[in-house]
Amino acid sequence: MATAGIKLHPACRVRREGFGLLFYDARGPRLLFAETGSLIPVDFFGTPRGRDEFPEGTTEQQKTVLRKFVSNLLDKGFLREQ
Amino acid sequence: MSNKYVEMGLSSPVNLTWEVSLACNLRCTTCLSSSGAPAEGELTTAEALALVEEVHQAGVFQINFGGGEPFMRPDFEEILAACHERGIMTCISTNGTLIDEARVARLVKPKGLVAIQVSMDGAIARTCDAIRGRGVFDRAVEALKLLAATPIPTSINTVLTRQNAGEIPAMYQLAHTLGVSLRVSRFRPSGRGADNWEELRPTPEQLIAFSGWLSRSGDVRTGDSFFSLTSQERQGLGLNLCGAAKLTCCVGPTGNMYPCAFLQTERFKAGSLRDLTFREIWDGSEIYASFRSLRIHSCEECQRFDQCHGGCPAVAWHLKNDLDGGDPECLERCVTSIAQKNSAAAAA
Repeated sequence: MATAGIKLHPACRVRREGFGLLFYDARGPRLLFAETGSLIPVDFFGTPRGRDEFPEGTTEQQKTVLRKFVSNLLDKGFLREQ
Repeated sequence: MSNKYVEMGLSSPVNLTWEVSLACNLRCTTCLSSSGAPAEGELTTAEALALVEEVHQAGVFQINFGGGEPFMRPDFEEILAACHERGIMTCISTNGTLIDEARVARLVKPKGLVAIQVSMDGAIARTCDAIRGRGVFDRAVEALKLLAATPIPTSINTVLTRQNAGEIPAMYQLAHTLGVSLRVSRFRPSGRGADNWEELRPTPEQLIAFSGWLSRSGDVRTGDSFFSLTSQERQGLGLNLCGAAKLTCCVGPTGNMYPCAFLQTERFKAGSLRDLTFREIWDGSEIYASFRSLRIHSCEECQRFDQCHGGCPAVAWHLKNDLDGGDPECLERCVTSIAQKNSAAAAA
């Protein structure tokens, strides 16, 4: 049984670019250019994680930004909750 | 689409068009690459598999396989499997004639196969077969039926021509009846398409009518080949500029890289994968650098500039030998051309 949590949608891929993360959704296809800098590692969404799980060392201010970012990715279908 | 990041240049293409072989069992009059016999010195299986690994290391998300007919390569399914093992998504453009139950059963297994496009150039056999050859319509329908019964997203891929422009709504219906979707591609004057250009090219009136129909048909895909005709209603559904060398590029059958599939000539050769790595060519090719800095200044005053940024440089090159001369078949030029024709007729 799959672990519950938020994960990259199977139709989506992500990679690191100079500006942050580039998300690709093959269903469109469509792209999302996320100016995250080095805040999130590229494999962050590779395994299911909770809404409040962030990379170690993330400040409270960054967490607020990241929560909004994750919520946006969920709304747009790049991530899914399973 | 964020043009800012696209124009800054990405670390590697988002997707790659890979023409795995020039071999084809058909001789379609619209063929962009004059396919038929295989090219001399096509990539070996080992070279093709090494390229898959390079592309994976470069972070390319998707490979769109075409040709020729990809299934003419005996090792094509091995190449596909290598992509899927690495998480690379794939799309196959096929004429459908080599699709049978056994092949479909093999294709349905891997995770990563994004889509299959079966070419069909008319809603009825007579129209389609005039372009693709006798009996091809029926064989494509059989392939579509087999694929429609699987979870593989499947579409009919139609190249818009003068002969089938009036059948596009019927093709849409046919696609729905078969349980697949419709994708319409632009006819460009390269390969055999150049030889048959004047006979097959859609008229400006047909292009305008198609643009209008497309604006009412949001579920029809165009693979971004019609951004020169994109109406306001379809803004956001795809690109608003040429993605060659910025978001995409093309690998030919012998391992030469080009900006796009419609510019596979020596003039536009960015490099050979037999001499350089994929990344070296992507990062270092002067041809790619010239496409990234290409600006269609002659179109900048146009009211539609933000919607197409000058359209397709490949069409401009083939028709006017002028890469930055603006797309000769853009919506604005279609309207102008009709107006000129009408005033000439009125004056006469």
